[in-house]
Amino acid sequence: MKKIVMKFGGTSVATGENIRHVANLIADHAGEDCRVVVVVSALDGVTDQLIQVAEEAKKRKSEYIRDFKQKILARHLSAADEAIEDKQVKEEVEQVLKARVDELEQVLKGIGYVSELTPKTRDTVLSFGEKLSAPIVSGVLKDIGLKSQYLTGGEAGIVTDSNYGEAGLLMNVTKYQVKKKIEPQLKEGAIPVITGFIATTQDGETTTLGRGGSDYTATIMGAALAADEVWIWTDVDGLMTSDPKIVPSAKTISKLAFEEATELTIFGAKAMHPRALEPARNENIPVRIRNVFDPKNPGTLISKNHEVKTKDGVKAVTLVNNVAVITVSGAGMVGAPGTAAKVFDVLGRENINILMISQSVSESNISLVIQRSLLERAVSTLDIHLLGRDFIREVEPEDDVCVVAVLGAGMKGMPGVASRIFTAVAKEGINVRMIAQGSSELNVSFVVKETDGEETVRAIHKEFKLDKK
Amino acid sequence: MRIILVGWGVVGQGFAQILLRRKMELVKDYGFRPRIVAVVDKEGAIIDPKGLDLEQMLSLKAEKGTISTKSKNGCLGRSALDVMESMEAEALVEVTPTNIKDGEPALSHIKTAFKTGKHVVTTNKGPLALALPALTELADYNNVQLRFSGTVGAGTPVLEFAKKCLVGDSILSIQGILNGTTNYILSEMDEKHISFQEALKDAQKLGYAEANPTMDVDGLDAAAKLVIMANWIMHKKVTLKDVKIKGIRDVTPEDLEDAAAKGSTIKLVGSIEENLKVEPTQISRHDPMAVGGALNAVTFVSEFAGEQTIIGRGAGGLETASAILRDLLDIKENIASKMIA
Repeated sequence: MKKIVMKFGGTSVATGENIRHVANLIADHAGEDCRVVVVVSALDGVTDQLIQVAEEAKKRKSEYIRDFKQKILARHLSAADEAIEDKQVKEEVEQVLKARVDELEQVLKGIGYVSELTPKTRDTVLSFGEKLSAPIVSGVLKDIGLKSQYLTGGEAGIVTDSNYGEAGLLMNVTKYQVKKKIEPQLKEGAIPVITGFIATTQDGETTTLGRGGSDYTATIMGAALAADEVWIWTDVDGLMTSDPKIVPSAKTISKLAFEEATELTIFGAKAMHPRALEPARNENIPVRIRNVFDPKNPGTLISKNHEVKTKDGVKAVTLVNNVAVITVSGAGMVGAPGTAAKVFDVLGRENINILMISQSVSESNISLVIQRSLLERAVSTLDIHLLGRDFIREVEPEDDVCVVAVLGAGMKGMPGVASRIFTAVAKEGINVRMIAQGSSELNVSFVVKETDGEETVRAIHKEFKLDKK
Repeated sequence: MRIILVGWGVVGQGFAQILLRRKMELVKDYGFRPRIVAVVDKEGAIIDPKGLDLEQMLSLKAEKGTISTKSKNGCLGRSALDVMESMEAEALVEVTPTNIKDGEPALSHIKTAFKTGKHVVTTNKGPLALALPALTELADYNNVQLRFSGTVGAGTPVLEFAKKCLVGDSILSIQGILNGTTNYILSEMDEKHISFQEALKDAQKLGYAEANPTMDVDGLDAAAKLVIMANWIMHKKVTLKDVKIKGIRDVTPEDLEDAAAKGSTIKLVGSIEENLKVEPTQISRHDPMAVGGALNAVTFVSEFAGEQTIIGRGAGGLETASAILRDLLDIKENIASKMIA
C-alpha cells in the first residue's frame, strides 16, 4: 500500500470550483492501494487579510472587525456552497465555519481590548485561514463519497517549541504523535485533511511554522508517516530551467537532487522554501512539484542525489535582482588578518545579510553582494566604523547590478563548465564584475550590470541547451 | 554617515559649505563621509536617501528662497518629525533658531531623533537650557550621543577645552563673557561714551543685534550658555530657572566712566561658583577676559592647572558650523572605537 502526502496551495483552493477540482484529483489517486494524506493552505489571500486585520484590531477598530467577519464568513460559506452538493454535509460544514469565525471575532476583540498584538496572539489569528479551509476540503471529499476527517496541525500531532511566528519543530515527538494519530485513520480508509502552516506547543498553544509554511507541514507529515512521495500541488508546472519571463523557451526540470532544489529555491524559484525540503531530505522521501491545473504533467521530481543523473552539468540559470555590490578596499588590508571579520561583524550588527562574497588573493579588496534596500545603511555603517582606520581607504557602492546564478550538481568535478559559462557571456560583450563559487561546485554566481542581466541569462540558457532537455 | 539636517539658516548653510569645501580631506584624513539625506526647513523638506547635492541645495536657496518647492526631491509641508520617523539616518543636525520659552520645536526634534536611534548634534540652546539633564539621560538610555559644542562660543572650542584639555583636573569655577552682542554694545558705550540705546541702534544696524534684542541684552542667551556649561563641565543638574539674571539695559555711560577711573570696565559676566549668575560686572582692563568688540572669553579656574582663558568669536554661520563638524567627527570616532574594542 502506497502512502502519498498531497499539499494544496492557496490558489488550488481559492474558490469552491477549485476545491471541487482538488477533491476530484484526490479521489483519482486515493483507494485500497494508495492512501492519501491531504495538507491544505488557507484560501488564496486569506492569510494576508488576517495579518492586516490583526494589526487593525490593535487600533480598536470594531467596525473594521465586524466588516471583516462578515466578509470572511461570506467568502468561505460561498466556497462551501459552491463545492458541496449534499445538504447535510453542507450544513455541517457551515456550522463549523460559523463557529470558527465567531471564535476569530472573539480573538480580534480581545486584541482590541488590550491594544496589543503579541507574536502568540498573532499566530492564533493567522491559524484561522487554514482552520477555515480544511473543513471545506474535507466536506467536499465526503460529498463525493470518500471518508474524511479534518484536523489542525496540532491535532494531527505536530509539536513545536514556543518560538511564535517561526516555531521550531520537535521532530521526534512529532513523528511519534503523528503516527499514533494518523495511521489508524489511514487504516480505516479515511483521508485526513490537515491544516498546513500551523502547529501547537506541548501545552497546546497554537504556533505557526513561518517560512515554508504549508509545504513544510506536508514534508513533516511525509517524513513522520514514511510516505512514498510528497506531492506539492501548485499553480506552476514545477521548477524551471529559468524564469520563462526572461527565457521564453525555459522548460520544466523533470528531475533534481535535493541539493540542487535547495540552491534553486534560494535563488528565487518561488515554488518552495528551502526549509520545507529538509524533513523530506532527511528521510529520503521524494518530493514532486505538480500543477493542479495540469494534472497530466508529471512536474518536477526532487529526490536524493544518486538517483539523479549527474552528467547533465548545468540544470538551471536564474537572475537575482534588487541587489547591490559594496567593494571595501585599501592597501592596508593586505596580509592583515581579521579584516574580513571586521567587515562582516560591522554588517552583522546592523542585521545586514551578505548574499555573496569575493576576495582576490592580493587581499587588497573585498566585494560583497547585499540586498539593495540595505545598501545605504551598509555603506554608512562601514564608513562610520571602518573607513579611515588605516586599513580601509574606500567603501564603494554599486547599485546598478544583478547576480546571475548557474546551478547543477553535475558541475561538480566537471572541467570546462566555468569556461563555457564565461565564454558565452563574453560573446555577448557583457562584462563580469565579480565571481563566486563555493567548493561544493553546486553553483557559480556572478555579478553583471543590471541592464545586462536578462541577456546573460539567455546566453547561458542557450549555451547549455537547457531548452532542449 | 547619513545626516538629517533640520534648519536651513546661516548655520545650516554654513555647515553645507564646510562639508563641500572639506569633502576630500574629511575622507582622507578622518575616514568621514557625511551624506545629508534630508534638509528640513519651516516650509518643508527635501530628501534623497543617497545624499543630496549640496552645491545645488545652496544655489536653490539663493535663487528661490526656500528649498522644498520646485525641486525634484522636495516635499512641501513635510515636517521634521515625519522625516525623522520615516527615513534612515545615523544623525540629526538640529540648527533651528533658539526658543528659550519651551525649547520647541527643537526639543521634539531631539527627542524623536533619540527614539529613532539617531545621534544628535545641535546648536540650539533652548532645549539644552531647559532640559539638559533629561536629554542626556534620554540619549544614554537610547544608546545614542548628544553633542552641542556650537552652543557656547560658536566655533571657539570652549566646551571641549574644559572637557578634554583639562581632563583629570577639577574645575572650581567658570567666568565668562558669553554673549557677543552685549559685549559689542558695552565696548561701544565705553569707547564712544554713548548711551545704551544709541549703542544698541548701531549694533542693530551692523547686524550684531536682532530687531528684538531681548535674548541678548536681557542676559538670557548668556544664561542659557551658562546652564549648558554647568551641566556639561561641572555636572551640576541645573536649568535656566536656577540662574540669577540681570541684563545690560540699566548700564549707563556714567557707570562705565566710574569703572574707567578705577582702571576697570563693565562686562556682562556669567559665572558659575556656588550659584549661577549673569550680571554686569566690573573687571580690570588687564584681565585677559576683558575683550573688546563682539568677542567671547571664558576663564576656567582649575584646582591644579590654575587659570586659563579661551578667547574667540562667539557667533557666525561658518564658525558655529565648524563646531557641528567637530561634534560629528567626535561621534564617529566614539562609535568606531567602541566597535573595535
